[in-house]
Amino acid sequence: MSLAAQAPRYRSTVILALFAMVAAPAVLIIYQSFLNAPFFDETARPSLEAYEFILSDPEFYRALWTTTLYAFGMVVVAVPLGGVLAFLITRTDLRGRGWLEPLVLVPMFLSSIVLAFGYTVAIGPSGFVTIAFRNIFGAAPWSIYTLPGIILIGGLSHVPTVYLYVASAMRRLPSDLEEAARTAGASVWRVSLDVTLPMVLPALVFSAALNLLLGFETFGIPLVLGDPNGILVLTTYIYKVNTIFGAPTYQVMAAVTVFLILITLPLVFIQRRLLRHARRFAAVGGKGARTNLLKLGRAGQVIALSIIGIWLIVSVFLPVGGVILRAFVENWGEGIRITEQLTLDNFRRIFELPSLSRGIVNTILLAAVGGAVAVGFYLMVGLAGHRNHGKTGTLLDYSVLIPRALPGLIVGLAFFWLFLFVPFLVPLRTTLFSLLIAYIIVGLSYGLRIIQATLLQVAPELEESARTAGATTFRTWRDVVIPLVRPGLAGAWAMIMIVFLREYATGVYLMSAGTEVIGSLMVSLLTSGAMDQIAALSFISILLTAVGLTLALRLGAKIHD
Amino acid sequence: MFNRRQLILASTASAGALGLGMPARAQTPPAGYPAGYKDIVEKARTEGAVAIYTSTDDVQGRPLVEAFQKAFPGIRVDYNDIGTNGAYNRVISEAAAKQVGSDVVWTSAMDLQMVLVQRGLAEAYKSPEASKLPDWANFNDTLYGTTAEPVGILYNKAQTASLKLPKTRAELLAFMKDNKDALKGKLATFDPEKSGTGFLFFNNDAKTRPETFDLVRAFGAADGKIYGSSGAMREKIVSGEHVFAFNIIASYAIEWAAKNPALGYILTSDYTAAFSRVANISKGAPHPNAARVFLDFLLSPAGQSALAANGAPSIRTDVTSGLNLAKLNEMANGNLKPIPITTALLEATEPKNRAEFFRRWKEALRG
Repeated sequence: MSLAAQAPRYRSTVILALFAMVAAPAVLIIYQSFLNAPFFDETARPSLEAYEFILSDPEFYRALWTTTLYAFGMVVVAVPLGGVLAFLITRTDLRGRGWLEPLVLVPMFLSSIVLAFGYTVAIGPSGFVTIAFRNIFGAAPWSIYTLPGIILIGGLSHVPTVYLYVASAMRRLPSDLEEAARTAGASVWRVSLDVTLPMVLPALVFSAALNLLLGFETFGIPLVLGDPNGILVLTTYIYKVNTIFGAPTYQVMAAVTVFLILITLPLVFIQRRLLRHARRFAAVGGKGARTNLLKLGRAGQVIALSIIGIWLIVSVFLPVGGVILRAFVENWGEGIRITEQLTLDNFRRIFELPSLSRGIVNTILLAAVGGAVAVGFYLMVGLAGHRNHGKTGTLLDYSVLIPRALPGLIVGLAFFWLFLFVPFLVPLRTTLFSLLIAYIIVGLSYGLRIIQATLLQVAPELEESARTAGATTFRTWRDVVIPLVRPGLAGAWAMIMIVFLREYATGVYLMSAGTEVIGSLMVSLLTSGAMDQIAALSFISILLTAVGLTLALRLGAKIHD
Repeated sequence: MFNRRQLILASTASAGALGLGMPARAQTPPAGYPAGYKDIVEKARTEGAVAIYTSTDDVQGRPLVEAFQKAFPGIRVDYNDIGTNGAYNRVISEAAAKQVGSDVVWTSAMDLQMVLVQRGLAEAYKSPEASKLPDWANFNDTLYGTTAEPVGILYNKAQTASLKLPKTRAELLAFMKDNKDALKGKLATFDPEKSGTGFLFFNNDAKTRPETFDLVRAFGAADGKIYGSSGAMREKIVSGEHVFAFNIIASYAIEWAAKNPALGYILTSDYTAAFSRVANISKGAPHPNAARVFLDFLLSPAGQSALAANGAPSIRTDVTSGLNLAKLNEMANGNLKPIPITTALLEATEPKNRAEFFRRWKEALRG
């Protein structure tokens, strides 16, 4: 066989394999939803029981409604704020832009369990800040366990997602239009509303759609903060259904997931269309146009820095501070003097417990080594889809969408079954590979987007000239594309590492003795209420993320797209 | 004080005992053990490991595991803390895939484990320690109760200083009703919808005590909050967000109160329920002998002491370190009522019965 014939075969093999990997869990879940018992049970028969149950359960409708409110509420909070932050940091001469940017992104890199936990300790009814506030002002007029409270926190923690997309769209904008408006006497405020805003509207709409999707799949924040008042969203409803029936009721969990897919899939499609549109739109601006920054003026600087400062305090300082404090005390709250409570016991105990210390090692391994494997895998997939305009290219596009529509908890459960019942996968089940494979699938759309963006930076002329000179596609990739994207790969590795560090839902059903990971350990500790350990693990998780982020910045990761 | 030489001698001696594969005390089985027990231990050592699926978190299970490894150094313990649902899920899935991974299942979900027994996923084994257990704690030599954990009250002393605390269930009802406004939003209890343990407590109360739903109604009227775990409630009571929680695991409450002078506990003197963490050997266990050795150890004085030292009181009255069944009964004024391990537990797994319970629970919780 000639080498030239291998590339299409390579492309179709990789893409079909990927399709099988992402479709298998989805198909299994859909199949399970139409049975009356676990699919592996002898008594399992086709049935609509599960759907009948949820459609007649008022709790389901309540959870559906709450989820909808949560998702839209999150958009209402996150999109304007993210847009404003992006405008201030990319289009104006705001002071301290350079170091503000990574700081603004911090909430995105923390697992939402850690964030939510931090908030309870900081501004919960007996949080450090709440008590101090009450001592000074007599009352603390907020409650984070109410739906508005949960929505606000969810929204604030998703500001960075909006920021990322809008900032990257803004960076691509030429500044001549804004300058023209300024010269004509418009205020900064007018310019941002009438000139910048319309130009980045596609990016705003896109990030709104993305946040809506993330809102529907949200798990960590409602799991921790919705608990005391019994506020349920669809994902925590899945979790609770188990106990209502007294035993894991997979068909019901699966049926709820199918509903989630029905909601999220259209969102994913809208997003896909928007993204294509947005790219085209942004390309109009052309490259190389030098951006001149808008001058904020003295008052402008003060206002802008205050907005960012307040947001940073609420979104980063409070939860991270809460976690750090809680990790070093055993008791806190009303009438307790924190300085008398300082202790390292929480950490000592973690290192005494093999499962927890192993969890830390495994998390680091999965993130660092697994992240590198994932980059290799995404690169293989990325190359298979690189300048692939055939049918397999379209199939790839759709394959990437499937895992987006599934909550990580369910992907983990489906993979648990696949590793149990698919013979050639069996030996992997109790190893870290099972988690790695599930992580790769869960992180697929994010990871692949980073790699694809990197690949697209290689000018087509370079590849074309290699091909004209007689190189095969493989040779072109090996000698032209890969060497050129290598620096980009290092950055991609760091970013994926952070994503893997933060993951918690996927491992809940998948991990076993020897393959514990920090995030899923926290979910399992939450059920037994071991807050001391959760606090210490959260702290370690923040520490690891900080290391990852520093590494990412050093390696020149393109945080901003 | 030992000198260096003595220390070396001592450590060589013990290393020698370990190195030969058998600690001295395992050579001759303890009293009451069959003569052939030595072979079981020998085989267990060849199997080399024992896999536990449990809902007892690592911090609490650690002393037991350490004590076991000290007694049987050749047997590694793979301790899987995966929660009650996780353990059940894994056992039935693995059985269906014919890849049993668990040797001993040990959780607080008395009802779910009875389902496992009913479905034929548990192996009968008459433990030599069985005779030391109360009758209600041994189901057909298959499912054993391993702890006696009372259900009681945890409260914040400073925040309840002005209130007269209840001593009985009847007073508890009056306490919540009379202090409805003072306690508004300050009460906590288990959420039976979220926690299998919470369901076990309330469902058992509902079956045995007529005032159960009145309590829930008074709790709801005072805008009480519900939680998925005792630990979560402790956190909120320490911080003062809540001041009083009822129907929580009181053996934890006793420990917390001992460590933190701001906390107090109550075992109601007219009725205090108790549940038991239950254990069984899995059908088709990969390490059947190690499973037996572990189960026996779990029920033995050594294992029970290790548990009792860490907040899980012993089900044996002859184990005196920490709390045990008899001492707890004394503390509850002779009215400790353990939930027996019988097929009656299965009633709670019937969807019809559960739906009825939750209907009444929700109706009462509205206050």
